[in-house]
Amino acid sequence: MNPIKIQAIARKEFYHLIRDFRSLYLAFAIPLFLILLFGYALSLDVDNIKTVAMDHDKTSLSRDLIRKLDASSYFNVIRHLSNTKEVTRYLEHGRATMAIVIPPGWTKNIKADREAPIQILLDGSDPNFASISLGYITKFVGEYNNNLLFDFLDRKSLEKIKPPVEGQIRVWFNENLESRNFILPGIIAIIIMIVGAMLTSLVIAREYENGTMETIFSLPIGAGEFLTGKAIPYFFIGLADVLIAVLMGQALFGIIMKSSFWLMVLASSIYLFVALSLGLLISIITKSQLVANQYAVLVTYLPSLLLSDFVFPIVNMPKVLQLITYIVPARYYIDILNGLYLRNLGMAHQWPSYTALIAMFIILAFMNLLALKREGM
Amino acid sequence: MSRLRIRELVRKEFIQLFRDKKSRQILIITPIAQLLIFGYVVTTDIRNITVGFLDQSQTKESRMLIDAFNANKTFNIIYYTDKPKDLEQGLLKRKFDLAIKVGPDFSEQIRKKKTAHIQILADGSMSNMASVRIAYSSLALDGLNQKFVKELYPFKMKYGKIDARIRTWYNPNLYSQNFFVPGIVAFLIMILVMVFTSMAIIKEREAGTMEQLIVTPVKPFELIMGKTIPYVVIALVQMVAVTIFAIFWFRIPLAGSSFLLLFATFLFILSVLGIGLFISTISSTQQQAMMTCFFFILPFVMLSGFVFPIANMPQIVQWLTYLNPLMYFLIIIRGIFLKGVGMEVLWPQLLALAIIGFIVLTGAAGRFRKRLD
Repeated sequence: MNPIKIQAIARKEFYHLIRDFRSLYLAFAIPLFLILLFGYALSLDVDNIKTVAMDHDKTSLSRDLIRKLDASSYFNVIRHLSNTKEVTRYLEHGRATMAIVIPPGWTKNIKADREAPIQILLDGSDPNFASISLGYITKFVGEYNNNLLFDFLDRKSLEKIKPPVEGQIRVWFNENLESRNFILPGIIAIIIMIVGAMLTSLVIAREYENGTMETIFSLPIGAGEFLTGKAIPYFFIGLADVLIAVLMGQALFGIIMKSSFWLMVLASSIYLFVALSLGLLISIITKSQLVANQYAVLVTYLPSLLLSDFVFPIVNMPKVLQLITYIVPARYYIDILNGLYLRNLGMAHQWPSYTALIAMFIILAFMNLLALKREGM
Repeated sequence: MSRLRIRELVRKEFIQLFRDKKSRQILIITPIAQLLIFGYVVTTDIRNITVGFLDQSQTKESRMLIDAFNANKTFNIIYYTDKPKDLEQGLLKRKFDLAIKVGPDFSEQIRKKKTAHIQILADGSMSNMASVRIAYSSLALDGLNQKFVKELYPFKMKYGKIDARIRTWYNPNLYSQNFFVPGIVAFLIMILVMVFTSMAIIKEREAGTMEQLIVTPVKPFELIMGKTIPYVVIALVQMVAVTIFAIFWFRIPLAGSSFLLLFATFLFILSVLGIGLFISTISSTQQQAMMTCFFFILPFVMLSGFVFPIANMPQIVQWLTYLNPLMYFLIIIRGIFLKGVGMEVLWPQLLALAIIGFIVLTGAAGRFRKRLD
């Protein structure tokens, strides 16, 4: 390994990047944009369930039920409707995702100490949204019934009765239950994959397409030096992206890392090494930019999005896919970031994930060298 | 316009695409692999809530509490301990999602008709899941309270209460796959068409063969047709293949009309094709084209309602989604697949797609022509 040769290759690649100005600025614009989007616009938390109400009973109690529903922080009663056709139309067009129907005689049943049915219609087409809505509405009805029970007991025993058990619920690690606190680490992992692996997947393929790879083979330069030189500019872009993401998360959205900043830089660097070697390997094997890009989407971008515990929990996956997640680098990186950001975990707890990433890097680097050797370098 | 010249151009494009073994593979493998992975992965269902339990009371009442959680199939108490520290460590290391602490005076408080407090610690790191878990545990506690009340107060417990009959429409079992798989189809087509059209045109320019094409008697319009028709055809074939796969492999019911689906796909492809063509006119290298494609694809996906509900977004961003062809196509594709609705409900979305497609495609074609002259 000769540092001067590495520097020469790195400089050449750097000029490529500078000259291709738009690629460079998109490499920074995409992360910025993603962070802004996730910070301001995207949330998996459900707190505004659009509900339509159809009240056939029209008593003060039924009106009170709907008012209570509207007042609870999760539901938003947008319209009062008078016939079933309209309810169906609202659900079909997606203008409301829930409907509550109170049949005539409902209040009479309650007052007569009987079970009084109401109907809840849920739009199940988005199951994430629907199952959260289902949980909230069940909780709402449960609380309402509990109040009815204690009213009843008060009437019977003429004294105020307290509920026997009360759960004091405390949320750890993400105290305000905001989805952006767990989404930010995932976004950082995806940004690194886009910049680190997808951009580099094109760089050697480009040399092949332009015919300049032949020239490089004839140069007095080793495979290791060539690869290192190619990777260096992208390493710095990737690291800069991570820093931008972390700083923006902190400055704009108050997402503060609970653990050490330098540990995050270390973990990100190791993960970048993995991403870069993956990108270069794809580039050497495919030799065509178009094909390389498609492979990069398939083996870097999508697994980081889907098989990494980012939004979709690994425990829910079929066993085979759970096994596959063990070779997805983003899984380990997101685990580390999750620990650093939310749980204040250090090396002592997370060394297995670091080790896995380092092992992946060594294997990939070795495969890269082997692939270049086979090409005749 | 000569039909013969367009046909020959299309033929050339097809030969070029399928000559290379790797690009042949990518056209066939990618959609199927992506559909498989996506289809199995994307579940946000809450099927299993793991619980760690610390029982310092060890009485009949505390066992009733355990039973109340065990009775609900979603809960799974996987860890019992008698040290508070173990419980906290377990939550820290993600061994379980909820930790429940029952104090030593639990039974005593209940028997004295006072309120016994138990502590429920929830791992909030995945906030959407956490809020559902919390809602479910409150529910289990409500049930338990009613049992205790029955024991404590010797009345005939017959009081008026709501019997909520909840029915879920369109996806009664709340299978995530039914929601996500149709969306994936849209996602796949978008990536394929946009990236392939833009990069293929740039490739021609980089290789210098564009000049050769220009000196042939091919007219600019014919060139555009020749370059885009192959991808429309491939995308439509992929759409059909992936839809068949979704129906027979994942058993996603196709409730509505398959012709309408194909027609909507065609409209969607037009807009995506237009964007791909546009990107090819503003890029000079394939790397640039790829990055620019992702500059479009990412916001399209994020702001489409594919994973993140549009209703949760701020109003300004919700207005932005009206410019997003993927948003309309997802509503259409989910409407046809899950709700079985047709033209009478979906016409605004179809119209919007047609308008966006027309504007983008004519604009891009105009630019493309100018660059050729």
